[in-house]
Amino acid sequence: MTAPRQTLPAGEADAVHRRHVVSALVVDRPGTLNRVSGLLRARSFNIESLTVGSTHEPGRSRMTIAIRGDDGHLRQVLAQLERLIEVLEVTDLTNVERIELELALVELDPPRTPAEGRLLERILAAAGGETLSTDPERWRARLTATPDVINHALDALRGHGLRSLVRAGAVAMAANPTTQSTENGATET
Amino acid sequence: MSALSLPTSALQPQHSVAPRIGARAVCEALVREGVTTIFGYPGGTVLPIYDVLREFPLRHILVRHEQGGAHAADGFSRATGGVGVAIATSGPGAINLVTGLATAMMDSVPMVAITGNVPRALLGKDAFQETDIVGIALPVTKYATVVMDPDEVPCAVAEAFEIARSGRPGPVLLDFPKDVLQLETSVPYPEPYQLRLPGLLRPVRGDVPQADELAEMIAAAERPLILAGHGVQIAHATDLLREVADRSEIPVAHTLLGIGNMDETHRLSAGYAGMHGWMHVNKMIQQCDLLIGIGCRYDDRITGKTSTFAPNARIVHVDVDRSEIGKNVRTDLGIVADAGDLLAALLRRLPQSEPRTEWMDQLAAWREVSEARSWHGSGAWREGRLSADYVVDQIGEATDHQATLVSDVGQNQMWAARYFGFRHPYRHLSSGGLGTMGYSVPAAMGAALGAPERETWAIVGDGGFQMTMQELATLVQDQIPVRIAVLNNHRLGMIRQWQEIIYDENYHSAELLGPDLLRLCEAYGIPAWRATRPDEVAGVIAEARKAPGAALIDFHLDEAQNVYPMMLPGKGLSDMVTGGSE
Repeated sequence: MTAPRQTLPAGEADAVHRRHVVSALVVDRPGTLNRVSGLLRARSFNIESLTVGSTHEPGRSRMTIAIRGDDGHLRQVLAQLERLIEVLEVTDLTNVERIELELALVELDPPRTPAEGRLLERILAAAGGETLSTDPERWRARLTATPDVINHALDALRGHGLRSLVRAGAVAMAANPTTQSTENGATET
Repeated sequence: MSALSLPTSALQPQHSVAPRIGARAVCEALVREGVTTIFGYPGGTVLPIYDVLREFPLRHILVRHEQGGAHAADGFSRATGGVGVAIATSGPGAINLVTGLATAMMDSVPMVAITGNVPRALLGKDAFQETDIVGIALPVTKYATVVMDPDEVPCAVAEAFEIARSGRPGPVLLDFPKDVLQLETSVPYPEPYQLRLPGLLRPVRGDVPQADELAEMIAAAERPLILAGHGVQIAHATDLLREVADRSEIPVAHTLLGIGNMDETHRLSAGYAGMHGWMHVNKMIQQCDLLIGIGCRYDDRITGKTSTFAPNARIVHVDVDRSEIGKNVRTDLGIVADAGDLLAALLRRLPQSEPRTEWMDQLAAWREVSEARSWHGSGAWREGRLSADYVVDQIGEATDHQATLVSDVGQNQMWAARYFGFRHPYRHLSSGGLGTMGYSVPAAMGAALGAPERETWAIVGDGGFQMTMQELATLVQDQIPVRIAVLNNHRLGMIRQWQEIIYDENYHSAELLGPDLLRLCEAYGIPAWRATRPDEVAGVIAEARKAPGAALIDFHLDEAQNVYPMMLPGKGLSDMVTGGSE
């Protein structure tokens, strides 16, 4: 319920530009997504992915936001995010051990040879995936892995008739349940 | 019950009351929140409220434009420390509030705006006067929502007030579809404990442990300086600020909205800092070895180029809003706390300091030069030309510096800040963050109604005046005693100044044709005077003060007077332009 009193030094050391993974617990109601995305837009952040889904508590949703930015700039934006009445908790998972997964659906040309078929199966398996349908017109498959691993798998699939791609965006949670995340206080990392 | 209060069932008030329509529930909630005055403009979708307004002890001020209503509510809030209320209808009425909402948001002013919208069944169908006002208001409010159920009305209003005034205050907009106002609910107004706002940031109250570290920094400093902002007044902590200054012998500079934090005649009051601030204050910022910002944002009009800001100082930033800390300037110590709590915590820790003779002598020497300097036009009154500094000074003298003074934006705002001589908090109102021209007259209207025991003056340029001068009729109809001093240079003065200094005197669109203000006032039935020479100033001010209601003085100024010193865009506090005259 309370904002922690913390020292927030800002300086040159914060000018590290990288991908951040942010988890936000929010109130499930119309306008919440608008508020969050609007704030990021107003600060000129380009959102890599943003997923929203229900949580174990009724009326609460969890957002996972993947975003690129400077550490210092992003920390300030997260503090602004936590000011929003609809936002209950903000945690930057960038520097903590985390479980991060993304789902991707792909449509592929059917393999031209049994060897290519086995190769496709191996690529999919390496990215936590499998074929969903293998009719002669097209293959459909899913991948479930970290965004990086999915990117690698997609690079490999592009040489083998990747026709279509749908990605869900990353979802993430801290691997260590004791990761401090104060309600209404962005976790310091 | 309310959408934010979860789980909903736990919040449903246990008892019910006699059913009443949503409009009555709104008015009842306003009364329960202590509201006495509301500023509004009727329209189709809010007529259910106007239909029942007579039943409640609420004074409704019919403004002439919704922007005026929003600024008036803002002025009411700032002058009283309470929460002003504005009402507008759907579509254009609601949209006209937006400038006022953004003004309040930037300056952390609590306010509740109530808008009507088309009936629920028509929402999203481009019905007559429909607009997505919540969508428009989101970035310029602390919170905005549409109330979709009559049973939510009591809680929604109570939550709006709680959100508006808690922590870092701000404006809240509640949008009511017309049928929600017309349908009945038997849900009572909630008790405070029934409000659950889990996402609302509430500052930790009580002692501030980090004051230990700050006290050590103060003990180690030779040339400390406090920069006190609006947050000190919001926290009602001006007495504590003075006590801390006295105890620690630290001089206090203030931001534009921090004016009034300390009596300007107090020995430790350094003065107003920033882009057009006093040179001696800016020099102190650049020379101090410890800068303690309390309840301020270190915004660009204070800092200029941040890389050259306070180069010799360890910078401390105290703010109730965590997201402000480290946002603009490097921060050696950031403390998230209510300004009053921090000051009280310091007071418990600080021993009585010896006078900092060397530092204060330095300040006195700089101040002597800074205040004696004739700032290119300021002081022109000595040669018989009417200059703005003289007008503002005379209003200050005539009112014994006790008046509420509402400035507009531009040169007039800077002159008011520099020359009025403020003694008390909550007397200087101005759109500091957003810089909204046209703010002063309607905001003064709200301030005069909120604090009727004080004389209220609006100081406004001829540009800003023409933006909201329709409220003259409101002043007359509701007999609101606002004295308006138009600093009339027949120019957009600050534009003219920038064009002179930065754009090689390429004066485009700076000359401003205006009406004959005496004849305009005659048409409205407002007594008005004109002064063109310094020797007329005191007389017309005295006459205007005798008027029972609104009054206006048209001060025809020397057209070329600039505000100096001035920090040019992209420059720092050490590179102030002085206008070339010593």
